[in-house]
Amino acid sequence: MAADPATRYPGLDDGARPLRRPGRALPLLLVLLLFVGGCSREELHHTQLFSFGTLVDISLWGASSTQAEHAERIIQEELQTMHRAWHPWLPGPLTETNRRLQTGSWFDCPPELLPLIVEAKRLYELSDGLFNPAIGKLVALWGFHSDVPPQGPPPEPAAIQQLLNQHPGMDDIAIDGKRLRSRNPAVQLDLGAFAKGYAVDRIIGRLERMGIENAIINAGGDLRAIGRHGKRPWRIGIRNPRGPGVLASVELSGDESVFTSGDYERFYEYEGKRYHHIIDPRTGHPAAGVTSVTVIHDNAAEADAAATALFVAGPEGWYPVARRLGIKYVMLVDDKGGIHMNPAMAKRIRFETTDRPEIIYSKPL
Amino acid sequence: MDRTLVATVEDHRIALLAALAITIHIAESALPTPLPGIKPGLANIITIATLCLYGLRTAAWVLMLRVLAGSLLLGTFLSPTFALSFSGAVAALLVLSVARLTPGLGFGAVGYSLLAAMAHMAGQFTVAYWLFIPHPALLQLFPVLMTAAVLFGLVSGIIVATMLKHFR
Amino acid sequence: MRSSLLTRSDWLLLIASVALLPWLYGSFWGSTGGMGEEVHIMVDGRELPPISLSKDQTLTIQGSIGPSVLEVANHGIRFISSPCQGKQCIHSGWHTHAGEFAACLPNRVALLITGRESRYDTFNY
Repeated sequence: MAADPATRYPGLDDGARPLRRPGRALPLLLVLLLFVGGCSREELHHTQLFSFGTLVDISLWGASSTQAEHAERIIQEELQTMHRAWHPWLPGPLTETNRRLQTGSWFDCPPELLPLIVEAKRLYELSDGLFNPAIGKLVALWGFHSDVPPQGPPPEPAAIQQLLNQHPGMDDIAIDGKRLRSRNPAVQLDLGAFAKGYAVDRIIGRLERMGIENAIINAGGDLRAIGRHGKRPWRIGIRNPRGPGVLASVELSGDESVFTSGDYERFYEYEGKRYHHIIDPRTGHPAAGVTSVTVIHDNAAEADAAATALFVAGPEGWYPVARRLGIKYVMLVDDKGGIHMNPAMAKRIRFETTDRPEIIYSKPL
Repeated sequence: MDRTLVATVEDHRIALLAALAITIHIAESALPTPLPGIKPGLANIITIATLCLYGLRTAAWVLMLRVLAGSLLLGTFLSPTFALSFSGAVAALLVLSVARLTPGLGFGAVGYSLLAAMAHMAGQFTVAYWLFIPHPALLQLFPVLMTAAVLFGLVSGIIVATMLKHFR
Repeated sequence: MRSSLLTRSDWLLLIASVALLPWLYGSFWGSTGGMGEEVHIMVDGRELPPISLSKDQTLTIQGSIGPSVLEVANHGIRFISSPCQGKQCIHSGWHTHAGEFAACLPNRVALLITGRESRYDTFNY
């Protein structure tokens, strides 16, 4: 890399020769060498793992090779443990918990699930039930409880209505120390909108304890970044929700998460209509009017839940929900391609498309 | 009040030089360009020669007249092309003023020409980026454009310096 | 000195200008990334030797459920076919920029484009 610019610009040598007092050119040359020499990238470790049913992309900056290898092993372990514990339909702690919740009696909650359920209850209250992991039965009815996307047709309206009438909610779950019980047999947990964020938080916590200061953990497009990429902030490209390429970019430094909920993540088309996986707990149908919601927030689990809640709240309703959840940066792309943002988000987002899209600003959050 | 407009010697000189610059400018606009924004900028020769022979004031007149009248003749007045040309000229003039008015710099024709060409390109590019195409892909063109500016600035500078040597 | 076309200041300015150019290329082409040069293909967590984007070819990668066919052309790469259900990997189209990444998750085939310096550290979607 260092020899590259000099060989490409032979003019540099031609210009330097006739100079009678080389002493004056010396500082210039030194400055030049500094710039040329300053772009080594040995300090970046980049790996990808398949886990959690998704691709996990890890970037570490400034870590030693041993540290990086160690970190990778820990991340792999952590992901596998969490994947087993939280899997929505393969037999394990979550399926066991869901079975017990239907009985209505007290039972000991698996320890790896308890903190998630406590946190999910809190976010359920804060979001007025728009983030509702208790609607596992609805999600299963729509067929999104499977490795392969369903083919349709969508479920019968009567079946949806029957589940809605039972009003499953996180407030139906009572917690007493380590024990749980559901007052509503219709409650079935689906942690899909939350577990990924929680996992990312745990991994970042472990990396920090290892002494790693600069890292990005990206689990299937949702990420948390700590520190920086050397002298510059981390640069994140936000994919265009419709079509290929990048819609916008944002720089992160310090400790921040970027989470997006999109209708393109899991969906099927039936008779020309698109049915996606983000179910509105109020209607029992896929939430309408939104293509994607992107949230920047410090905590990844909260960002994950918030992206889902704001998606469900829709272009008209997201603002008060974001306020209650304490989210400071929101971008919502509606189904007509309109981009809604709060002013602070607009300041951070840089659009990478040829035409600058029209932006609908909200009040400050 | 009776006022007559008397054309001074300097006015005649400005008119003649501007006419020359406009001719070169128009002739050059007929040339095909490999990349948008890359032009030899040979009209720069007149500006720099004027600067060296008659000073900053005359050179400023010649440059601004060239941009205005040139765009009127080419039918680009107040179009994006004009905005680019105008901003380039303003940037070049600013840099030339600083270079000329700061004592002890000792630039000759080549130095002024280089400064003018680079300032012209940088000014023009900034306006193009902010006003017309705020796309990051455009930024990648900037080093190429500046390379062209240095090259053409050097060439026209040497032409002026050679010309002036014959004058003296 | 009088006979010379360039004054001493002219020479210094010329050298400074020429020296400025590599720096311009470095900062405008380096930081905004630019085109990718190589593609790294991962199959089931294993990384294959990098492939140049400048040589047009069609590759067949044996993934975990079947063959994925990739096309390299015009300094870009895309999925032509893959044995997955969603076909999102195919819909995502051409990938040309350093730092871009595409995958067929069901088949566990992923690709990452690298260049002199990546434009983005990672992607949110």
